Amino acid sequence: MNAEAGRVRSLLDYYVTRGRTQIQAQFQYRAATYFWLIGMLAEPIVYLVVWTTIAEQQGGSVQGITTGEFAAYYIVWTLVRNMNIVFTPYGWEWRIREGQLSAALLRPLHPLHDDLAGFAGWKVVTILLWLPIAAVLWVAFDPVLDPTLLEVAVFSLAICGAYLIRTMFLSSLGMITFWTTRVGAIFELAIALELLLSGRLVPLPLMPDWAQEVANFLPFKWSFYFPIDALVGDLSRGELLGGLAMQLLWIVVLTGLTMVVWRFAVRRYSAVGN
Amino acid sequence: MATVRVLGLTKTFAVPEREAGLRAAAVSLFRRTTREVRAVDRISFEIGPGEVVGFLGPNGAGKTTTLKMLSGLLYPSSGEATVLGHVPSRRERDFLRQITFVMGNRNQLQWDLPALDSFELNRAIYRIPREDFTRLRDELIELLEIGDLVRKPVRQLSLGERMKVEIVGSLLHRPRVLFLDEPTIGLDVTMQKRIRSFVAEYNRRYDATVLLTSHYMADVEALCRRVIVIHHGEILFDGELARLGDRFAAWKTIAVDLDDGAGDFSAYGDVVERDAGRVKLRVPREETARVTARLLAEQEVQDLTVEDPPIEDVIEMVFAQEANER
Amino acid sequence: MRRTALLGWLFFRIGSMNELQYRANFLLQLLQSAVAVGTALVVLALVYSHTEELNGWSESELLVVMGIQILLGGVIRMTIQPNMQRLMEEVRDGKLDFALTKPEDSQVLVSIRDVRIWQAVDIFSGAAVLAYGVSGLERGVTVSDVLLFFALLGVGAVLIYCFWLIVATLSFWVVDTWSILELLDGVYQTGRWPVSIYPLWLRLGVTFIVPIAFAITVPAEALTSRLEWSTVALAVGFSAALFVATRYWWRFGLRRYSGASA
Repeated sequence: MNAEAGRVRSLLDYYVTRGRTQIQAQFQYRAATYFWLIGMLAEPIVYLVVWTTIAEQQGGSVQGITTGEFAAYYIVWTLVRNMNIVFTPYGWEWRIREGQLSAALLRPLHPLHDDLAGFAGWKVVTILLWLPIAAVLWVAFDPVLDPTLLEVAVFSLAICGAYLIRTMFLSSLGMITFWTTRVGAIFELAIALELLLSGRLVPLPLMPDWAQEVANFLPFKWSFYFPIDALVGDLSRGELLGGLAMQLLWIVVLTGLTMVVWRFAVRRYSAVGN
Repeated sequence: MATVRVLGLTKTFAVPEREAGLRAAAVSLFRRTTREVRAVDRISFEIGPGEVVGFLGPNGAGKTTTLKMLSGLLYPSSGEATVLGHVPSRRERDFLRQITFVMGNRNQLQWDLPALDSFELNRAIYRIPREDFTRLRDELIELLEIGDLVRKPVRQLSLGERMKVEIVGSLLHRPRVLFLDEPTIGLDVTMQKRIRSFVAEYNRRYDATVLLTSHYMADVEALCRRVIVIHHGEILFDGELARLGDRFAAWKTIAVDLDDGAGDFSAYGDVVERDAGRVKLRVPREETARVTARLLAEQEVQDLTVEDPPIEDVIEMVFAQEANER
Repeated sequence: MRRTALLGWLFFRIGSMNELQYRANFLLQLLQSAVAVGTALVVLALVYSHTEELNGWSESELLVVMGIQILLGGVIRMTIQPNMQRLMEEVRDGKLDFALTKPEDSQVLVSIRDVRIWQAVDIFSGAAVLAYGVSGLERGVTVSDVLLFFALLGVGAVLIYCFWLIVATLSFWVVDTWSILELLDGVYQTGRWPVSIYPLWLRLGVTFIVPIAFAITVPAEALTSRLEWSTVALAVGFSAALFVATRYWWRFGLRRYSGASA
């Protein structure tokens, strides 16, 4: 029992140390991060303008969503989008090619911890740098946003859940690199699906009904649309907590998948080497 | 109890074969021919605690592959290996915490931050108690004299400096077994010497077992009492370094640059090469000083260098000798 | 001028031979292009399921805009972007000297030496979308419309090239312009929709600062009978002025570069 407690404590220690290390390193690239963040704004701003234009043409709303709500949706979108950025399959390709994976395998720690902790540190810096941008967007686009305390709490948890879901999903996808270098194709297809069924391009309520049904069975809605909806939308308490439960379900499923794939991946790597 | 025990260890790779040309490339899309390469061929040896063993051999001999199998990075195709009582390929956490693998030219530290921060990270990874960590870290920093380097971002360090901090970072958890793969590659002579003396000191102080690969004879001469010579995946020689040098590196090469390269030099030794102004002589090891003195006294020498026989030649001689003795 | 064309052809051949080796790249590019076009069409369909027209632009007209954006994007990724990226890299690594000591005009050389032939896939998919959009236009296109379209497309390409070169030349002063590329990539997305829907500040930004409006919306206006002669004059004038300015800027930056490394 004591050994287990010790393990948990040292793991926590690692996360804090690794996260702090990443924050320090990332802070040196503030300017570059800003440019990148601003570049990322084009996508949501464009969609915001398009839907707002349509809304105004139709007397103020599209399918019940007002211009103010669109503005709120896409501003919160920018934060959720950042929380969704994790280590890609192309990154796994690079990692194996550069020998970083060998170094990781020599350490008594699963490399996934390194990714989770490192990216979390990066997110901290990104969020800090994002705040002034959010303020500017707020002033420019006049959103309608009035969340309750519960909604804010659920949102805060949901963006962490989103981060975990996406990490696990892309990690299992990325590990396919161990068997083939053509992982790019699979990745592109998955991304296409995700773009459409996550609420990233179009708020899910504006998609045809059958698409919304399909989206319920995929993790993308829960890593993207749900956090935004929690804060911007008008979900009941049951729906909010239910959403968190769905996130947890997907995290468990995808983590399990990742761990299974990893076991096979290491075996494959150790047979072939670098 | 032996720290490292290896029995009949073998590793074969399937290497894809392809000919040049567009047509062959098209064919290779549909049909892949592979060739089996035996990187390591049924090697066996035992290493005791605290030994420093050098693995000598030319590129592609199988040295790195052997080390990778002993550290758990590669699965052996057949045979057994035990390190510190563990089977390396199982990659048990307790095992990984007691070893370290330093690869020359590979960066494991955080690029943008001072080495001290990366050390802190290693402390967390290997779960080193704080006091032990601080004490050992400071000792190692002092030993390698990198006190002012550890505060600079790693990317600002030169190649040699980077190697030094990498080594310190890899030893903070006080591993009992060190795998050093070409640790001095690409470094200048002073740095090479520094690293060698450091490893010797570390071995002395902490009684760590060191497995070192190199194709620099100098690395091995400085550190190892015992060498294992590997060629084509097989062990050609396993024994004391002194024996190897005596038996196989029996001669040296003297290269002289002269004004006038004509004339008969056969009195000095075997003439291996002759160019306008440059003559290369092969002389028995014991004769080197005497012949050098004679050359300098009797000839108009512009420049003179004394070279060890290249390792490939030594290996060849070892191979030839072993073949004869079989 | 003829020499430039000859050089361009040479680099194109070499670049193609290099890239043709990588079949995987081609397939991946095909897939990426298909995914990008596919999702864009889906979004367009979704938008038009909720409305008849966007700021006066019908669905077919919007397909025209989109087709031009994809096509031009292919041109940029095939020739302009790789060259500018390489320029910035070489400035950072000090390797630009190799290009500067060749007996060719340096601006020409750094602008045409890299060709990513597989990006041409986007040119074809963009053209396909464009053709589809044109086929659905209410008011048909006349020959003069088409000619004007190609002319304005060329003008737009020149504008974008000038803009990219100006940004790349900034790397003579500021070493890390890399992140600006990310920014530009993002901003190019705004070109998928007609510029008139954007709020004023954004519209001005993508017209004069990053000349996307001139490159995409204006040729689209030619095909959709919206074009006014004042716009044409502005586009051509702006382009000519920028081209000249870019040349001066390049030589200015070059003097600075050579001075610095001397």
